[in-house]
Amino acid sequence: MNKVIIDGLSFALPLFIMAIGGIYSERSGITNLALEGLQGAGAFVGALVAILLMNKLGPDSQIPYYVAMVCAMIGGMLYSLLHAVLCVKFKADQVISGVVINILAMALTTFLTKSINRTVFGAPSDKFVLGVSARWTVPGISKIPVLGAVFTNIYPFEVIIIVIAAIAWYLLYRTKFGLHLRACGDNPHAVDAAGIDVAKVRFKAVMMSGALSGLAGMAFAYSISANYSSSIYVGYGYLAIAALIFGNWKIMPTLGACLLFGLAKSGGYQIVQAAGMPSSYSDLVMILPYVLTLLLLVFFSKHNNAPRALGEIYDKGKR
Amino acid sequence: MKQKVDPLTKFFVKLLGNEKHQKFTIPVFAIVLSLIVGAVVIAFLGKNPLSAYWNLLQGSGIAPKARYAGGKSMLTDFFSFMNYWTPMIFASLSVAVALKAGLFNIGISGQMLTAGFITTVMIGYSTLSAPIAKPLVIMIGLIAGGLVGGLIGVLKYKFNINEVVSSIMLNYIAEYIIAFFINTKYVDPVSRQSKAVSDASRLTLMNVQIGDLKFEIPLGIILAILVAFFIRFLFEKTTIGYELKAVGANGKAALYAGINVGKNVILAMTISGALAGIAGVTYYMGYFASIQPKVLSSTGFDAIAVSLLGNSNPIGILFSSFLITVIGKGSTYMSSTAGLDAEIASVITGLILLFSACGAFIQYKVKRGKDRIEDAAKQAGNGKEAK
Repeated sequence: MNKVIIDGLSFALPLFIMAIGGIYSERSGITNLALEGLQGAGAFVGALVAILLMNKLGPDSQIPYYVAMVCAMIGGMLYSLLHAVLCVKFKADQVISGVVINILAMALTTFLTKSINRTVFGAPSDKFVLGVSARWTVPGISKIPVLGAVFTNIYPFEVIIIVIAAIAWYLLYRTKFGLHLRACGDNPHAVDAAGIDVAKVRFKAVMMSGALSGLAGMAFAYSISANYSSSIYVGYGYLAIAALIFGNWKIMPTLGACLLFGLAKSGGYQIVQAAGMPSSYSDLVMILPYVLTLLLLVFFSKHNNAPRALGEIYDKGKR
Repeated sequence: MKQKVDPLTKFFVKLLGNEKHQKFTIPVFAIVLSLIVGAVVIAFLGKNPLSAYWNLLQGSGIAPKARYAGGKSMLTDFFSFMNYWTPMIFASLSVAVALKAGLFNIGISGQMLTAGFITTVMIGYSTLSAPIAKPLVIMIGLIAGGLVGGLIGVLKYKFNINEVVSSIMLNYIAEYIIAFFINTKYVDPVSRQSKAVSDASRLTLMNVQIGDLKFEIPLGIILAILVAFFIRFLFEKTTIGYELKAVGANGKAALYAGINVGKNVILAMTISGALAGIAGVTYYMGYFASIQPKVLSSTGFDAIAVSLLGNSNPIGILFSSFLITVIGKGSTYMSSTAGLDAEIASVITGLILLFSACGAFIQYKVKRGKDRIEDAAKQAGNGKEAK
């Protein structure tokens, strides 16, 4: 039971921070299917920096871990500029742009990982080995039954994510910038009439989603596989989108959806292991989050209200 | 005040300004742009981009190689290129049909896999003779793909689920469930793939001896070209196609005009899925004879690039799929001769996608430039009159 909670949280929180990124982008009116590519591209940058640092500082240092998180955010943000430019400036179809960005991210990072491994590190490998991150257990509280599991074996990124999520919540709901951002997604003309640059707000929102996705990607790379390879593209970006749709484009309900996904996934694994089933059965468990997503969407998509101007290209002349 | 137009704008307007030819010139421009960027990347890696691109053509049987193994020639290379091209045409037509109706089918890889797996199990492992097995494979693939596509359409219309999200979810579900069945029931212990299907059911005739050459003959290629023309006929000459396009152009207007939007959304996704299904059988039961578990083919994603590049026009797609297939198929030969990673091919494809997505922007810029030139010309004319 404890294992279900520990693993569930370490999957749900990165998903959550990525979904918050999606919420920022979509509440500002930009459909963001690019989350998948953004997390991969961000994690690529973070992982590259991490190994370069690891070669310098030795394998025991924890510094690369934190630097990687920051660099992944920067990398994701830079790559997201592409989506922002395509959608805001070039007025491309936002759905197509998102998909294009994902495909390009996958191709580029796979190619670069391979070439960099060969030319810089002299090893024919298609992944960056990151090593396992440290894990923390809070003394005292972790002894409480069930609830204590939340404080056991925490990845440091989980704490980072919770702090950033809190800031993101405050920024979106309690500041002027957040108000402008949300207004851009519902009535960009009103925002424009109030003298605020819609394009600028949307640019910032997309960049925010890039940064948060990069962080999430890095967290996945450290927690699930302890290395960076093209296996990072397993559709978690799309799961995050499903979570935010299910959460009705609001931060707190989205957290609920992410926790549900995380617990369903880790719970399924535990069942397969507890029942002593052969490993090929874990393939069946892998589909749980996806099936759950579809089912939830079936029940909740009808009643949700997306931002009204979502996916529309802002055209000043249009009324 | 006299407006100045810089020569670069003039050049591009002259190059791309003709609206009649823009359908053709803008995609070509996008391709050239991406090939240049790709060349820069290759040059940066210390290789010769021109010879790398030449290797792509050689690998596809369009340019002659330096030497050939026994039973091989440029012609046999080209046939094996067509073998790979066939699923790409079907997959790209599948994207195009959905796009025309305003839908985005990114689940083609999953639909291909589903159709490929079902036909493999039902026909591929049976003892049916070729004249019965081959048509059955196509029929069952078509139905299986169509059902998955139709499901996405129903989810979109009845439950308001974005088709991109639902089709991605179905991709993963198909991938894992099929991997489970292959690993538990149909696995070949040596290759770790599904057991090979019977030759009678396979849609590509392998090792056909003509003279002293050995050919792979893809039977689907003729069907693929016929279907491309049929889809063009469907969209340009029939009511069904007209309604699909109307829904895609403006759903609300179509509804107002009395078109049943829901029916058309489901229909478009069903046709799109059926085409993906045929792509799947020509891929898994033609080009290959087995299925690798837990891998989605890149064809389904490359098809998006092809379709965007071909403006979703079935005939345009025949050309653009040819190009993308050259890049994909030729990359193996390129990586072995030029020492470049084969992944560069998907980078170039990605770049083509990126620049194609900017097509509308390029068009807009050219229009702006053209207007500026016309204004400048007018002002110059006015100036003369004033004198």
